[in-house]
Amino acid sequence: MGEQKLYQASANWLKSAVDALCAAGIEVLAPTQSESGKVDLARVTSSEQVIQSYPNTAFPLKRLFLPMSEVLLEYEKGEEGDVELGPKSAPAKELVILGCRPCDAAALEMLDKVFQWDYSDVPYQEKRDRTTVVSLACSEPSPECFCTSVGGSPQGSEQSDVLVFGGANSAALMQINTAKGEKFIERLADTVTPAPEGTKLPEPTELEQKFDPQKVKGWLDENFESNFWVENSLGCLGCGTCSYLCPTCHCFDIVDEASWNRGQRRRNWDCCSFALFTLHASGHNPRPDQAARYRQRLMHKFKVFPERFGRVACVGCGRCLKNCAVGQNLLADLADIESR
Amino acid sequence: MSANGTITQTLREAAAQVLSEEKVGVVIGYGRDDGQEFSTPVFLRKAEEVKRLVFDDLCFGNLAVYLPRPEIRKMGKTGIVVKGCDLRAVNVLLRENVIKREDVLLIGVRCGGVGQPQLPKCSVCELHDPGGCDVVVGEAIEQQEVKAEQRYTEAGKIEAKPAEHRWEFWQKQLSKCIRCYACRQVCPLCYCKRCIIEKSTPQWVQTSPHLRGNLAWNVTRALHLTGRCVGCGECERVCPMDIPLGAINQKMAKVVDERFGFRSGFSAQEEAPFTTFSTEDSEEGIL
Repeated sequence: MGEQKLYQASANWLKSAVDALCAAGIEVLAPTQSESGKVDLARVTSSEQVIQSYPNTAFPLKRLFLPMSEVLLEYEKGEEGDVELGPKSAPAKELVILGCRPCDAAALEMLDKVFQWDYSDVPYQEKRDRTTVVSLACSEPSPECFCTSVGGSPQGSEQSDVLVFGGANSAALMQINTAKGEKFIERLADTVTPAPEGTKLPEPTELEQKFDPQKVKGWLDENFESNFWVENSLGCLGCGTCSYLCPTCHCFDIVDEASWNRGQRRRNWDCCSFALFTLHASGHNPRPDQAARYRQRLMHKFKVFPERFGRVACVGCGRCLKNCAVGQNLLADLADIESR
Repeated sequence: MSANGTITQTLREAAAQVLSEEKVGVVIGYGRDDGQEFSTPVFLRKAEEVKRLVFDDLCFGNLAVYLPRPEIRKMGKTGIVVKGCDLRAVNVLLRENVIKREDVLLIGVRCGGVGQPQLPKCSVCELHDPGGCDVVVGEAIEQQEVKAEQRYTEAGKIEAKPAEHRWEFWQKQLSKCIRCYACRQVCPLCYCKRCIIEKSTPQWVQTSPHLRGNLAWNVTRALHLTGRCVGCGECERVCPMDIPLGAINQKMAKVVDERFGFRSGFSAQEEAPFTTFSTEDSEEGIL
């Protein structure tokens, strides 16, 4: 897009947008806070449910496009031997995501690359096409954030149809990036106005670059076999928390769940940290220990993915290091690799 | 000064001694990582590494989870820092013949409780002083008397609700489960080489994270830990979805306590209800 289109709105833009979209019958996901204090994007029907100030949501956008468990097909055998197939797809309804952070929006690019690679994944693409992403630029990155180390920015606009600056305590400035973004602005009617000519975007928020992915890749290229993998994975318990909270991890397992005359084929999340992930039917496991599985996770994100798709499969959200049961610190491990 | 402020130095000395005398091949303890909100596991192989060891109010983890692991066992005899609550898990591992006493060197810490504010389990701790360890560090702590009714308060809160509310509550809670299995992986007593959830010929428990599968998984987990769980609370601490797993564990522990007068992990020699037969046992339901 050549000329940048900017609009301005009140500090209360998020709530106004929720109300305008809900009134138009559009499905809206916006930041809410649970009883236990977690902030997450949830379906809302009124702006009263929405909070406007938060560092980031507990979960990334992944599950909205690649659900934890998704029915790919279902069948039911009738008494005459006839078979009815499903699921019957309903016409995709428009969905607007409000208030995700730039790192989480940027992660959609990695998912797009995978799910539109050699084959366009229909269930994924349908959900992607119907969705408008309105992100909120970060003015105060959290301690675990490192987007600037992996090619992102607290004010990055990648994969955001609209990027909003300010809000909550100050007037909002909206940067429109796509046709979907323009449609979103139209729906907000008179709660937004074009920004005066010459309006500039706020100065970028500073966030120190903590490692260089190129240097990390240089070491990974040479060190498939290294004691680093054993030493740095001793604490790893092999659960799926890091992968399941990761905006870019996308591995899945396909299972059939059937009873006598009906069944479903489901696509469920899976995780390379699990011992079962690569276990062969023969009993052989090419990744026999946690060191091999930990290596896989790092190698995939910082070597294999860039080789195949031109960028690392990490957006620097920091959820893995914040939520790890034993404090496995990806950032410290990458800095360690870089220093080698 | 925190309840555990002065232990670090004596702990380091104790660890340095067992490492330099080659009594152990590794000491598993807690260290500090500036990026983390709690003290994280460290694995020390040399005496000069002991400066990485700490003991403070943020040593939540139950390090006994590492004892059965092959990569740890091949380092030689394992030295391990244990709080009283962790020692209970070690006792169960000994009782169930998962580890041998001569393969571990227990460095007990007299722990005044962890967490800021202190975790609920610490306020009813009955093992501030971990008995039966090879080395014990820290000042003696007065052991408060804990009454039976104080032990199961979390379970009690949920039991007080009518049945239909309980069902509604657990449906809501278990719907959140994402099947990351952090609860299983962090549990010192979930040491099966292949969990039943991973047995797929046939698939005993559905792996899909729908309510049906999640209920099956969580009930399986609870039953397999009944009469064994020591209430260390690690599963609930690490659950990324904030499911109150501790209340489930407490309920099971309460049933076993009431029916069999048994509380798990207070001794490595104890006879556990599920591995002993007695004609005196009550036969109410399946427990």
